[in-house]
Amino acid sequence: MIIPKWSLRMHHRCPGRSAGVGFGFAIILAIFTGEASAQWSRVYDQFYLPASHNWQFRHNYPAADRMFNAFDYGHAILYETLYNYPDAPPSRLEEKEYDFITRELLVHPPNIPLEEGAIEIAYAKLAPEAKAMFDWAHLLHRQIYDVWADESIALAQKDARVAELLRYYKTRRELAFSSTPKSMDIMDGHPYSGEFRQKYPKFNGLIWAYHWLQIGLYEPLLLGKTPDERQTGVLASVGRFWQMLETPPEKMPRLMPMTAAVAPLFATRYPEAGIIFDNLHMMHDVVSDVLTSSKIPRKEKRKELLRVAELFRDRTSYATTVQEWRDMAEMMGVHNMGGTASGGIFTALPEGTVPRGMSMAGMNHANMPGMQPGRDTTAAMQHANMPGMQQRPAARDSMAGMQHANMPGMRPPPRTAADSMAGMQHAGTDMERMMAMHERMIADPVIRERMMTDPVLQRMMSEMMTGMSAGGSTANQAALSFVVQLLSDPAVQARIKTDPELQKLWADPDVQRLLEKARREKTPAPHKH
Amino acid sequence: MEKESKNMLKTRARAALLGCTICVGWAVGLNAQTDFYNTDKGRPVVIEDAYPLERYGFELQLAPLRLERQRGGIYNWGIEPEIAYGILPHMHVEIGFPLVYQDAGALQGRRTGLAGIDVSMLYNLNVETAGLPAMAIATELALPVGGLAADQAYASFKGIATRTYRWIRFQVNGSATLGPTPSPGDDIGVEEVSRWLAGLAIDRTFPLRSTLITAEIYARDPITADSEVEWNAGAGLRKQLTPRLAIDGGIGKRLTGDDPSWFFTFGTAYAFAVRSLIPVGRYQ
Repeated sequence: MIIPKWSLRMHHRCPGRSAGVGFGFAIILAIFTGEASAQWSRVYDQFYLPASHNWQFRHNYPAADRMFNAFDYGHAILYETLYNYPDAPPSRLEEKEYDFITRELLVHPPNIPLEEGAIEIAYAKLAPEAKAMFDWAHLLHRQIYDVWADESIALAQKDARVAELLRYYKTRRELAFSSTPKSMDIMDGHPYSGEFRQKYPKFNGLIWAYHWLQIGLYEPLLLGKTPDERQTGVLASVGRFWQMLETPPEKMPRLMPMTAAVAPLFATRYPEAGIIFDNLHMMHDVVSDVLTSSKIPRKEKRKELLRVAELFRDRTSYATTVQEWRDMAEMMGVHNMGGTASGGIFTALPEGTVPRGMSMAGMNHANMPGMQPGRDTTAAMQHANMPGMQQRPAARDSMAGMQHANMPGMRPPPRTAADSMAGMQHAGTDMERMMAMHERMIADPVIRERMMTDPVLQRMMSEMMTGMSAGGSTANQAALSFVVQLLSDPAVQARIKTDPELQKLWADPDVQRLLEKARREKTPAPHKH
Repeated sequence: MEKESKNMLKTRARAALLGCTICVGWAVGLNAQTDFYNTDKGRPVVIEDAYPLERYGFELQLAPLRLERQRGGIYNWGIEPEIAYGILPHMHVEIGFPLVYQDAGALQGRRTGLAGIDVSMLYNLNVETAGLPAMAIATELALPVGGLAADQAYASFKGIATRTYRWIRFQVNGSATLGPTPSPGDDIGVEEVSRWLAGLAIDRTFPLRSTLITAEIYARDPITADSEVEWNAGAGLRKQLTPRLAIDGGIGKRLTGDDPSWFFTFGTAYAFAVRSLIPVGRYQ
């Protein structure tokens, strides 16, 4: 051992107490002996990709950046508490930690990213591999913010930078979340699924609000045309996040926010990143469930966490398609996830319509007979018949055998119109085309935005859904009336002209004939904005 | 003479500051992340943790300063610029250049120079889990380069363990040095070389403040002939100032021997990476 001393060497020393050295061995034994189930883990840290955009988000959007530092604490203390205090009353998280986070930490967030390993000490030792996966994905999150926050990068170059970040992210296969979309079964299809959100609805809402902002912040960065617009948008998104915390858990997301719904622009531009982040956020929830559940013995938790982590990394487990991933987000309803990130703070938060924390297990379009949006949407769609749409026994609200049409308060909102056409048997091809157009319209972010902000359209949508529950011609008529009303909006008309597929559907003579007929039969009230 | 000594001290201090400034200036254009939680030898205390620098990362120890006061009011200054690189998974290499200004007072004079070149490697064997501490092995080589270096090279081998509990973290280091025992009168340089060293450090982290405080106690057997085991104690603080920059400071005292000197250290660590060393295709 060479010690930097740089001093005069002293040749006269007093006698040392060499016998005392041995005490170290006793200390080592006492301190370093752990649980019997020793595990050998070899994960390691790796530097982020150096580039000119590094830390630009921190520099240009300090308020939002600091929020993420506080989020780090929220995740870490959650896992640490769940693992260390399995028998603690819910108030430990729901009140003590929640209050500290929302009233102290988020109000005065740390200036620099936190060392989560110093907070989630027991959890970091339990599953360092899972922790490293989160760290690596969070690094990707932050670096993509940096690219879009860097005003010196030309718009055309930003895509190349993000592509490079994704390549770098994926070089660590042992840590990288799969960029193959996963069905909700990977989150909600386990025997222990949903236990965390049952027991801790408020803290779960906080975590989902975190995730909402983490993916939602991309939207104003992409949407803003100028630095000032981006600043306003980012601040608005942060404000929106705070709105969610006003009356917890009432205004918090009721379902896990999904990138394709909350940040549609980002998800369209960078579907791979969006999928990775959704997988990341789903795994956050699964980890919470594993740590909460008494169904998994304490000594088995590491094993289960590693098993699940592997499922999230591989490309085949619970795999679905990109289209189904988008449809899934659509079907779940962005209003149940906190709304779109471009919603601003000047409108009320959308009202959720599903039971808080409802299980999404089985909500895989591929598994749903006839429920392949974007293709044939006219086949019979009975949610009650869809595997997994029966609420899990663990869920708080009993929804056994649920049928959307029969559920009080479960009127699907605008985003879930296609989803909610349970039982619809469309009579002819004209109506099929009309419904295809309807579906495509509500999938369009601009049109959807109009729907969300327009009370008349929202009322009509609600009426349409009520009509749909009756099925048959009533449903068809309701849908038709809604489309007619929607088409009377100049913004929607303009949008249709920019979308070749919509334009084609709209120009179809059969559709035009139906629309004309509908206009004649029921002249809607003039639509004003 | 005393006035001359003070002037010399001021000159050296200015030189040290200039060195710091140059180093900072060089590194500012780069981007980095550094970690207050990852302690290194001497930063701020001798006992270090078992974790290496992250892969592809560089960490520049910006002219860490050490001031030692010995009996008789003799002050000794030194800086040891170091750079470490996460060259492989689990492993970093490091090279340091200890520069020493030795003020032995009016009778013995003053000397300034390089006190060797220190090359080291740390390899992490595993990360901490519920059942096992994090463990690492390290090797250190002190090369006989410079006017204040020893006459020969010394190689040391070290074992490191880190164990973390809710309130406290423990580090244990043990090392042994190979090489002949110098005879009285041999020039062994100004760096202390131990035949063996064993020590324990206790850390307490304040994660929301990104601050770590630490205290250590260690015993060492100087490599010189007929030496006695020395006991030393130290304490320090390490704090993250920005995502890229951490500072540290420490104090220590030799507890045994005729010269119960004390020392003070201060340093900064700046981390960065070099894009061309990372094998991923560039954007077009």
